[in-house]
Amino acid sequence: MTGTVFDIKEFAIYDGPGVRQKVFFKGCPLHCSWCHNPEGLCPAPELWVSTASCMNCGGCQSVCPSGKWDDAHIRAADCTGCGKCIDICPAGIRRICGQRYRPEELADRLLKRSGYYAELGGGVTFSGGEPLLQASFLMALTVLLPGIHKAIETSGYAGSDTFAGVLAHMDYVIMDIKCISDALHRSYTGVSNRRILRNYRLLRESGKPHTVRIPLIGGVSHTVENLTATAELLAGDPTLDWVELLPYQPAAGAKYRQVGREYGQTFDVGKNPAESVEIFEKYRLRCRVL
Amino acid sequence: MTERIRKMRKFYIEDRAHRAFRRPPLDWEKLLDLPVFMEQSDLEKVTRVFEIMLERELPVIFPEERLPLLRTVVNFPYFIFGQTVRGRKIHENGMLSNICVDYSRLLSCGLDQKLTEIEARLTELARNPGENAGQIEELSAMRRHLAAILGLCERYRRHALEKGNRAVSDVLSRLPGKPPETFQEALCMLRILHYAMWASGAYHNTLGRLDQLLYPYYQKDIAGNRLTKEEALELLEEFFLCCNKDSDLYIGVQQGDNGQSVVLGGRDRNGVSQYNELSELCLQASLELRVIDPKINLRVDSNTPTAVYELGTALTRTGLGFPQYLNDDVNIRALTDWGYALEDACNYSAAACWELIIPGKGMEIPNVGGLSFAGAAQRAIRNHLEECADFESLLTFTKAEIQTEADALCADTAGITILPAPLHSLMMSGCLESGRDVTQGCVYNNYGLHGAGLSTAADMLAGVERFVYQEGRVTKAGLLDALDRNFSGCDRLFHLLRYDGPKMGRDDRANEIGASLLEMFADSLEGKRNDRNGIFRAGTGSAMFYIEFSKNLPATADGRHAGEPIPANYSPGLFARCDGPVSVVTSFARPGLSRVANGGPLTLELHDSMFRNPEAISKTALLVKSFVRLGGHQLQLNAVNRDQMIDAQKHPENHRNLIVRVWGWSGYFIELDKEYQDHIIARCEYTSADA
Repeated sequence: MTGTVFDIKEFAIYDGPGVRQKVFFKGCPLHCSWCHNPEGLCPAPELWVSTASCMNCGGCQSVCPSGKWDDAHIRAADCTGCGKCIDICPAGIRRICGQRYRPEELADRLLKRSGYYAELGGGVTFSGGEPLLQASFLMALTVLLPGIHKAIETSGYAGSDTFAGVLAHMDYVIMDIKCISDALHRSYTGVSNRRILRNYRLLRESGKPHTVRIPLIGGVSHTVENLTATAELLAGDPTLDWVELLPYQPAAGAKYRQVGREYGQTFDVGKNPAESVEIFEKYRLRCRVL
Repeated sequence: MTERIRKMRKFYIEDRAHRAFRRPPLDWEKLLDLPVFMEQSDLEKVTRVFEIMLERELPVIFPEERLPLLRTVVNFPYFIFGQTVRGRKIHENGMLSNICVDYSRLLSCGLDQKLTEIEARLTELARNPGENAGQIEELSAMRRHLAAILGLCERYRRHALEKGNRAVSDVLSRLPGKPPETFQEALCMLRILHYAMWASGAYHNTLGRLDQLLYPYYQKDIAGNRLTKEEALELLEEFFLCCNKDSDLYIGVQQGDNGQSVVLGGRDRNGVSQYNELSELCLQASLELRVIDPKINLRVDSNTPTAVYELGTALTRTGLGFPQYLNDDVNIRALTDWGYALEDACNYSAAACWELIIPGKGMEIPNVGGLSFAGAAQRAIRNHLEECADFESLLTFTKAEIQTEADALCADTAGITILPAPLHSLMMSGCLESGRDVTQGCVYNNYGLHGAGLSTAADMLAGVERFVYQEGRVTKAGLLDALDRNFSGCDRLFHLLRYDGPKMGRDDRANEIGASLLEMFADSLEGKRNDRNGIFRAGTGSAMFYIEFSKNLPATADGRHAGEPIPANYSPGLFARCDGPVSVVTSFARPGLSRVANGGPLTLELHDSMFRNPEAISKTALLVKSFVRLGGHQLQLNAVNRDQMIDAQKHPENHRNLIVRVWGWSGYFIELDKEYQDHIIARCEYTSADA
């Protein structure tokens, strides 16, 4: 069994208690219009090009087995991610995004510095993409990390059994509740939120400490109606640690070209996120803007 | 920040309105009969120029000011001293620089008392004038320096009185003749002395352990209910602003490189922490003011409470590039191993950038030269790779190259002379008693050598070891040919070495090689003596050498083109794609750093997303703490935003206040030459892991 990971970041400070290592799982069942991690969308490894420092030397094209290059001279239109163009590039801006690991390989890598993070009150956070999409790999991995504080950052989109199974391995959960209206949720993320809301109830009943995150997207989630409805849903949640509001990042589209995608829609940065905090505070929920 | 300080900050820093009071440059050729003047002794020249500098000052007093003195004379006649030292072996421009005086030597007694002591000594010496001519000349020069300061301050007092600024005229009716009694007076006295030191032509005038110097005055005022903490903060802030009034007139490699460093915290010889309320107020003052001077250093050790790092990190967040952390666990050990008395070692301060120096006792040149690790490794590879059957032999040649370079650097220091500095001498141990200028030597006379391009060298050697000796993917001839051709037509090899090779800060083997290179450097200086009977100390700093050395460095085996930059200080290479700040911190905080502790910090560029909220600041503070606990010697963090710097290159007018750390000092980004700007942009930046 292998899992596909597109990044392992050090010193994560916003994703669970203490200071943490953060593993980004590749592949996501949602396709949120505002997603700022497009390299997490596709489950398979793919070619990543940091376009900004391209010197236009043409070396990549000269070794590419495909004849169909896009207009921007970045990759073949039918790029298979063969990687032949990587080690010819003088600017070093090409790599395969997404590395396959066996659970024990990834565990070894995480264990190397787990003591450092434990001393800083932290552990490991599994993020993505959507880690639940690789649930069996994730569970096999967590078994190999005994005594390490484990957190998951998830959209909550999975079958209930899968969700409950992974939940049992976690010490802390960070879960998005992007939008209460199912119609809007479908239209901007591509999937219904019914599974998510059901899994939120499971999470709430589990008694695991958790944080709920809401991306603030103008006209979608950043509305008084949506935030009020979310606050009503969360009110009284006994193990809810924080409600965290994530302001829309105007630069969210920056990475799309680097994995050969188009960024569809831009959103209004909208109103002052600080005002939204008050909505949650009215429901006696601890809330902050990240 | 009080309204008074806010107004002063606007006046001096934003509007620079005080510069309107500056006078047209003095015509020194007219003022002095140069051909005759040039015949005078060094001491006479230094003293006469100092007298004129102060005589020519026109007092300027602003209404709400408490700590006076403004430079209106803009041009110190460095050209005179340039001519004076022509043909002599000198360090930098030949004037005294980069030491830390012991201000308490004048604060404790005042100038009148000091003049009395000088008179008494002169009377004694006059009994045997022929034999004591040198001492008499020195002491007379000291006397004239003090008299010039008293003269200027008296004119300032009268002017303050005319202007109705009683706060200043009252203080100057006692100072600087009488010793300061209160916290405000102590700051005023310090301002006067520091101002005078700059006017003497000596430069990189450090401020030393400010919190320790001022604490007795602060404590006494607080105990006597004469001062509140808030008032103390306000006065400190005014003092900090004073350090920025004239700083554009101070000399340095670039604007901002002026050596006005302050050291806070530390511990005494019994291991008791000396971090006090004033240390905290200084951090707070810097945090509120956001100005580039003074540059804050914080002495910490493995017992430093997290709260101290949190306050330090809040200051880092402002983007000033302070504080710089100095780890007492490593540095005190280093100094005692080098032969410093424990008491002095515990009293260490920082020179202009980060070199360890002893206040009042060290006449050291901690930046006497710089060794290029990158150059040594490059020569070893270029000249000896073919004959090396194994990697160990290549390391041996590298060691020999380091030794050769170190020998040459040390030999080159023989006969350095420094122009006398009687005012500074009055604040250095033994100078008054012996009648000997500090520039002739003091208690400690050691020299320090920087070591630049360490990670470049380690990355080259680690790459050669892996690709040539272990994997055999690259042939010796192929590598040497590629280096000769500056990698032209060798795209794959270039890519392999530059991006896929082992790198310091990421790979254990490169870290080990880096550590051996440091050992080689320390070994190469072992047992050497300079001509002042001092030792040579090895360091991990680069100063401006990271720019200088890289220019003449041919293509290197870490995949670097000829002329491309090497990293500043003790930092990963510019092409090393390190996994993150934890890999870097754990790679660079290594045992054995006390042998190379002359100065030179690990520099980490942290994206401003690492500081979003108080919890994030607390966590980022733990990164610093971990470096100290793991045995790192010096650490300097920057909150940066690369996009902002790139925009500042395009639209400097929108970024007038953007401050960045360059090597051992901070400056305004838009005032730097482009090569320095580009280097900062090229450094690896660590984000908060938002992906």
